[in-house]
Amino acid sequence: MIDALLQGLFLILQWKALAFMLLGIGLGFWVGLLPGLGGVTALALMLPFIYTMQPHEAFAFLLGMHAVVATTGDLTSVLFGVPGEATTAAVILDGHPMAKKGEAGRALGAALSSSLVGAIVGAFALALAIPVVRPLVLSFGSPELFMLAIVGLAFIASLSGQGARGMLRGFLVGGLGLLLSTVGQDPQAGVARFTLDTLYLWQGLDLVAVLVGLFAIPEIIDLVVRGTSIAGNTPSDHLRKGAFEGIRDTFRNFWLTIRCSLIGTFIGITPGLGGAVAQWMAYGHATQSARNAEERLGFGKGDVRGVIGPCAASNSKEGGALIPTIAFGVPGSTAMAVLLGGFFLLGLVPGPDMLTTHLPVTFSMVWTIVLANIITVAACLLFLNHLAALTNVRGHVLVPIILVMVFIGAYTANNDYGDLLVMLIFGAFGYFTVVAGWPRAPFVLGLVLGKIAENYLYISVARYEMAWLSRPIVLALLAVAIVVILYPLVQARRAQSRKQANA
Amino acid sequence: MRTMFALIALCLVVAVAPREGQAATDFAGKTITIVVGYKAGGGYDKTARLLARYLPNYIPGKPTVIVQNMPGANSIIAANNVYSVAKPDGLTMGTFNRNLPIAQLLKVDGVKYDMTKFAWIGSAASESTILAIRDDLPYKTLDDFKKSNQTLVIGATGPGANTYDFPLLLKDLLGLKLKIVSGYSSSADIMLAIERKEVDGRAGSFSSIEPFIDRKLVHPIIRARATEPGIENLPVDEDLAPNPRSKTMMALRSAPEVVGRPYVLPPGTPEEIVKIMRDAFAKAINDPALKAEAKKGKMELNFVSGEEALKVMREVLNQPKDIVDEFGKYVKFGE
Repeated sequence: MIDALLQGLFLILQWKALAFMLLGIGLGFWVGLLPGLGGVTALALMLPFIYTMQPHEAFAFLLGMHAVVATTGDLTSVLFGVPGEATTAAVILDGHPMAKKGEAGRALGAALSSSLVGAIVGAFALALAIPVVRPLVLSFGSPELFMLAIVGLAFIASLSGQGARGMLRGFLVGGLGLLLSTVGQDPQAGVARFTLDTLYLWQGLDLVAVLVGLFAIPEIIDLVVRGTSIAGNTPSDHLRKGAFEGIRDTFRNFWLTIRCSLIGTFIGITPGLGGAVAQWMAYGHATQSARNAEERLGFGKGDVRGVIGPCAASNSKEGGALIPTIAFGVPGSTAMAVLLGGFFLLGLVPGPDMLTTHLPVTFSMVWTIVLANIITVAACLLFLNHLAALTNVRGHVLVPIILVMVFIGAYTANNDYGDLLVMLIFGAFGYFTVVAGWPRAPFVLGLVLGKIAENYLYISVARYEMAWLSRPIVLALLAVAIVVILYPLVQARRAQSRKQANA
Repeated sequence: MRTMFALIALCLVVAVAPREGQAATDFAGKTITIVVGYKAGGGYDKTARLLARYLPNYIPGKPTVIVQNMPGANSIIAANNVYSVAKPDGLTMGTFNRNLPIAQLLKVDGVKYDMTKFAWIGSAASESTILAIRDDLPYKTLDDFKKSNQTLVIGATGPGANTYDFPLLLKDLLGLKLKIVSGYSSSADIMLAIERKEVDGRAGSFSSIEPFIDRKLVHPIIRARATEPGIENLPVDEDLAPNPRSKTMMALRSAPEVVGRPYVLPPGTPEEIVKIMRDAFAKAINDPALKAEAKKGKMELNFVSGEEALKVMREVLNQPKDIVDEFGKYVKFGE
């Protein structure tokens, strides 16, 4: 085992593998930064180039590229409020308000350092899970996946505002998200639901177009209306500081970072949940770290913990997603499905062999994820202050550029005008929610988890009838869901009693 | 002055016109676009990207060949586009969901193409559908299972996919005792459900299940009409049909699989261009270097000629109304 671990490291440190990894990192950097151009598409486009490479070189190249995408996607989300990737939208909620307060440097520092911690935790999980991976993954059947989706939905309680009114609003938009997740052809009867007689909606609403509209459009309108730069009137010398403050934030909230990394890893391991879920559940968990009601209100207005949690999760999930891909030949995410094609091209058969004969190659992947993230974060730190200075550029210079990015980003989802329409409609919806003070996070959670919950509930009942309700992990997850829902209420009551005690 | 311009223009037209006639079959310096009806990364896309690198060697003038993804509505959007928007000049070709003739047959909303009117290049592969069950089950063959009188649970993605339609017809027309559980998000998810024994087996294309057969996780027990090396001796669903009508249903479902990776040009493409493309495809697919790459990527490519593809399309689409209506009860268009 230790032997293989070292062998894996040496495979990566050969100059050719290292060169390919750097090339991959360079590509992934831009793919992540630009909204719309997704990591999956980039992987598919690069696949033909690996024909002549050795396995460890090919994975250094592909994984190096893939590992970076989530990290730099977070940067776009923080700086402009535009999701760089569909999987990095949750960072916007607190990351962008920080940028607006003139704390872009701190937010970026926190994002990068927590990304690094997340990636390392994910890679460690991958290395540690190797001996137990088969029973671990196999214990999660459809009933368990359904309950996991329910736990995710339970986070709506934490993501909603305070009090009965806040809860009501949260669950209303969450319900709307669930409803909209049913758009498209349903997988049980093949009926086209809510497609408005268009072909475009057959495949359902595209998450990229929805997220870009929902988050970017309100920020753009806000920027135009204010007529200043993103960071308002913060003096520019103030902006250039703060990166190290952000890094310190990550270590100040170290256990939160670790917990969110574990959430990400776990969602990565579980095939069928999809990468977009990870950040939102981590964000939901991060809001629970608020110690009192005032702190809770700070979330969504630029609390650094709302940056740390999602960033850690979006990077740790990649290590996790490799686990089912390697051990079963069953990809844990869309990106991994493309990567699986790479395995075959290289003559490797994913499955138990990867954990025995090809163990050094498997470990070389672990090392690639770790090294690629360290290199990226180090490179970003070098010019992080320059990136932060972008928030000081005048709005009327920045807005046209962001608009172009937003429109291209949405259009690349399906290369269809429908994408632009969806983006604009959800942009209007997003603006309305911001003005009226309704939360957007529960909506996204509903949209992302709706289909998963529906399908796995159907499968569970069709396969096990009612017997699935008595499975031990299902019951354990049910308990978790109840705790997650009740937590904000308990918190509120405790705060109240404390107030009375003080008075 | 104006007459002079007119004269010059006329001269230009006369000078250019004959050359244009020739240029139509010389693709030097031009770019040919393959429109794929899916996002990047899937099987249709992979095949197209592989062909795009080898086709230029076999087309006069060595044009550049690029791939454009036009996803949506299970390829109907891309097919409509190549059918009525793209120019019939050989610079645009399309590759779509093999089940598009079924969408046309069932008169799915939004279909604006006629599969028999495309200028057919052919198909780059035929895809055989099989039903595979877990190795640890006591049934080695279809007969073992039939004799046992037990029920098998089959995992599926959804109607319109071969993971669902193939076992559905086996159940309803051949009377096999199957329980179909659908809603898995991908065929990979079903494979994992097989690993954890949530389901007993699944249907799907042979090429996608083969790695798991090699790993001794599952073994095939029955196949549809189209075949590939390694599964020739399996029982074929149509041969077991109790009556001609059931046989027609199964034949209709599996006919498009012979044209597993269809390639077409817009309707009205000149005969010479169609011939060039057909030749180029036939040669490219037999290129040893391409064959080697396809084998590594677990793609089994073999060229099905344009005439044959067109014959299959006519066979599917020339059905009497009552057959179509009954077929529509079983099979929906999808994936």
